[in-house]
Order: sequence, then C-alpha cells, then structure tokens
Amino acid sequence: MTLSGLLFFALGNNVQAGDLPDKQAELKLAAPAPDADYLKMRSLATIPEGAFGEKVRLGYQLFVNTQQLRGQYVGNELNCVNCHMDAGRRANASPLWAAYLAYPAYRKKNDKVNSYQERIQGCFTYSMNGKAPESGSEPLVALSAYSYWLAMGGLMDKYGVTGAVPELSDADLLKGGKREDFVLPEAIAKAMTVDERAKLPGRGFPAIPKPEQAYSPARGERVYRAHCQSCHGENGEGLAMGGVYSLPPLWGPNSFNWGAGMHRVNTAANFIYENMPLGKSVQLSHQEAWDVAAFVVSHERPQDPRLEGDKVMELSKRYHQHQGYYGKSLGEGAVLGTQSYPINPAKQ
Amino acid sequence: MLIGVTALFLSSQAMAANEMPPAAALCGSCHGPTGMGIEPIAPRIAGLSSEYIAKQIHLFQQGDRQNPSMTPMAMTVQGEAINQVADYFAAQPVPAFIPVVRGSQTSYQSVAETLVYQGDWQRTLPACVSCHGPSGIGGGQFPRLAGQQASYLKTQLMAWQSGTRKGDIDNMMGNIASKLSQDEIAALADYFAKLK
Repeated sequence: MTLSGLLFFALGNNVQAGDLPDKQAELKLAAPAPDADYLKMRSLATIPEGAFGEKVRLGYQLFVNTQQLRGQYVGNELNCVNCHMDAGRRANASPLWAAYLAYPAYRKKNDKVNSYQERIQGCFTYSMNGKAPESGSEPLVALSAYSYWLAMGGLMDKYGVTGAVPELSDADLLKGGKREDFVLPEAIAKAMTVDERAKLPGRGFPAIPKPEQAYSPARGERVYRAHCQSCHGENGEGLAMGGVYSLPPLWGPNSFNWGAGMHRVNTAANFIYENMPLGKSVQLSHQEAWDVAAFVVSHERPQDPRLEGDKVMELSKRYHQHQGYYGKSLGEGAVLGTQSYPINPAKQ
Repeated sequence: MLIGVTALFLSSQAMAANEMPPAAALCGSCHGPTGMGIEPIAPRIAGLSSEYIAKQIHLFQQGDRQNPSMTPMAMTVQGEAINQVADYFAAQPVPAFIPVVRGSQTSYQSVAETLVYQGDWQRTLPACVSCHGPSGIGGGQFPRLAGQQASYLKTQLMAWQSGTRKGDIDNMMGNIASKLSQDEIAALADYFAKLK
C-alpha cells in the first residue's frame, strides 16, 4: 500500500473537505459591492527597465500566453488569462493583485503554510493539467513578480505613494504579501492590517446567491446552446485559429482537470455570472449561471492527478465532497472520472 | 510524414474547391474571381471560413445585414449553392504572414494595437484577438480581419454601432462596437488592413 493509500485508510470517511490539502481550495468570498473601491492597476507601459522589470514582463507574457510552457508545465490548451480577465488585472475575475496579498495562507487543520508560489504550482497541476514548475524556477518567479508589481502599484497609487514599485528578492516575491515582514511603504502599512489587505474588494469570483431551483445540467444545456456554444463549440472543445486556442475548451482532453477549482459548480457559476459572455453583451440570471455551470462541469475531462490506481470512488469521497460531478453519473452515463483524459499529454 | 499527408489533403481539397461553382460567378464579378475584393466596391471574401460566408448570405437574405447591393445579390444564391459558394471562396488563398501571438509585447504605442491585443477593460472591451484569433486571422463564425479593406472594416463597425448589422449571438459584436469611438474605429480599420 502506498503512503497516500495508508493515509486515506487511516483517515477513513471521517475526513471533511475543509481538512484536505486541496491546492485549489475555495477562498472565502463576498458578494461584490456595487461601488467597491477596487484597486486601480498601473499601465503595463510603466513596468520599469532592468532585471526586476524583465521578471514582471515575463510574468505578464506567460500569463497571457501560457502555451509557451506547453509540453513542459502545461498539458492542455488553456492560458491563465482565460479565467483571469484583463491579464489578471480585473476585479471579480480572481485578480492576481488580490491573490498575491492573500498568500501565504495558513491552514490550521494541517498546520501548513501555503506560499504564493505553491498556489501557482497548484494552478499548473490542476487548471493547466500539467506539471508544477520546480520551486524557485523562472516561471514561478516571473508570475509572482507580475502579481506583486500589480498589487504594490495599485496600493501605492491608492495611498498616494509615488515612484516605482520597490524591488523584492526572488525569495520574497515567491512568498506572497500576507505576512508581517512584507515590506510596505509606511502610508500603506498604516492604512490597512495584513488581514485587511488579504481581503481586498474584487478578490476571487464573487459568490452569487444559491439557486432557487436545484441546479440542473439539463436546463444548463439549453443555456449553453443559446449563449455559449457559438464561442466554445458544440462539444465544449473551444476554437483554435492558426493553432492558437483563442476560445478556450471547457471540457474534454484540452481543458482543466478534475482537480481544478473551476470544476466545482459553485466556482464555475460565480465565474460565469460575473464574467461571461466576454464583453457582457447579455447578463445571465443567477439560475442560468448555476445551470450552465452544472452542464459544463458534468462532462468528462482530464483525470484528477491525486487519483491512485483506479479508485475513483475513494478519491471522490476524499477530495470531492463539494458541488461537483466527479464520481457521479448522470442518467445512464458512465461514472465521471472513470473515463478521464490523460494528465499533461503532449500536444496533438 | 504527418506534414506530407496534411499537405496532400489540403492540395486535393483546394483543387476541388478551385473549380468555381456556377453560382459563384456573380459573386466574383464584384468580389473578384478569387474573392480578393475590389475596394471600395466589395470586401475580400477569400480566406473567410465557409461557415461565416454561408451565415452572412443567410443574414443578408433575412435582412439582419443590410446593403443595397448585397441584399438582392444574396437572394440569387439559394439552397445547396450557398454552401458551394461559401466553400469555394473560403478555400481561396490569401497572402500568408506570421500572426502576432498575444503577449509577445507587454505594451503598445498605438491605440489600435492596445485594443487589438489587450482591449480596454475599463470599458469591458476584450482584446479583438480574444475572439478573432492571433492578428485577427479569424476562424469559425469570426471573420478574418487581417488584410481586410480598411474602408469595409470601418463601415462594418459603424453598421454594428447603428444596428444595421445584426445576427450574432447576444449582440456580442454590436455591444463591443458601441463602445468604440470614431477615432478608434478608424485606427483599428487601418491596423487590420495593413496586416497582409
């Protein structure tokens, strides 16, 4: 029996979702404030010259064209920017600036501190269906530097601190900004506590109210056909032009895997309600967002990397005690997770 | 090996499609026999997807797109001929160039390039390339913008604004066009027209 198998055996069925080392656990979310005072981002044209600025620039470039890492750390056709609008700058689309200030996050149940770098590693493992870059590696430094630059520039402008964003060492960049020893201009440090900075308005995808009727993939399919299919394809396959998937695949072999946060119905519903369709030419109702989210995440996708052998039901009990379809079947269909696609495959 | 097979497939497909179907002759009189367009009479239709061309013919027939010349012309193509015409012009070659992939630059000097590659999210304007593909090469229901005539791109964006062009899902393009200024429209039209 493997170590993790032993662990599972020991923990049995008493494990609660909150105890688990889920690298894409839900952050506590609030409803969006109508006139929230979101941090405003500096123009990317103001990224400084020099070695630090180059790291920030590389972070931006990897964020909008993550396919540069295909075959190495990325195993699907997605780019970070597909879920984090405006290159991670837009409020209520899980902006990088809010995330950066929410890590390192301490989890008291397992007495483990997750750094910002570990959070990004989780993104590669699950959302990108790939392999996490090594700790301290160039992509992680760059993505951390970009996130930090956005957060610090926004805070400085809000509190009237002029000048360039102070440079940080790679080691400090990778930790994240939620720590007492995070170096801040005095005006910012005085204005907010560490915990207040970690809960900036606009973080995450804001929670929408529970649906009036239980969410339904069948009703969601009608929403999908009417509003989503024209961009994301009849079978959620996305659309490539010149070999580049501009419109991201939502399920199937080229999308996020069963460990990604977006496979939860609530996370997908929150994201969709706030951010889709691109450009917001129409506003779905809360019910429609729940239903279409359920439809999208009730299809087979790449396997959860935490699966041991073929124990889908065990993994489901251990990691999937939330609003999702892993380990369940719809109607006469196969149990989802039993026919999943490969993790980190080479590009076809 | 794989490349060879693909090339063979493409060339045999192109050979079949290169024979102009009778219904396309009338189209060719304004758009040119290979659909390269004649500015300012008719836009380039070579290299648009077959799906897009067929849909536009239907939209003209239904009145969701309005143009004094195209409305009666679209009526002359009916039934199976719609797909034949669409396939023929979709298969016509357009000058090749290497598209710019998003993120190759962090910031841009011009208003047009900023909108094309980054959008303006203060106005909830996504980057053009997020639907029209790298450098606006197009695909599926999204028309190719790269190399299209500036005058045509400009009149179309204005038609989306005024509502004389409709027919996409949820008025996505009408909504986006409505947020653009006249200067931005002119700059975008010039930018895409030069990509060839």
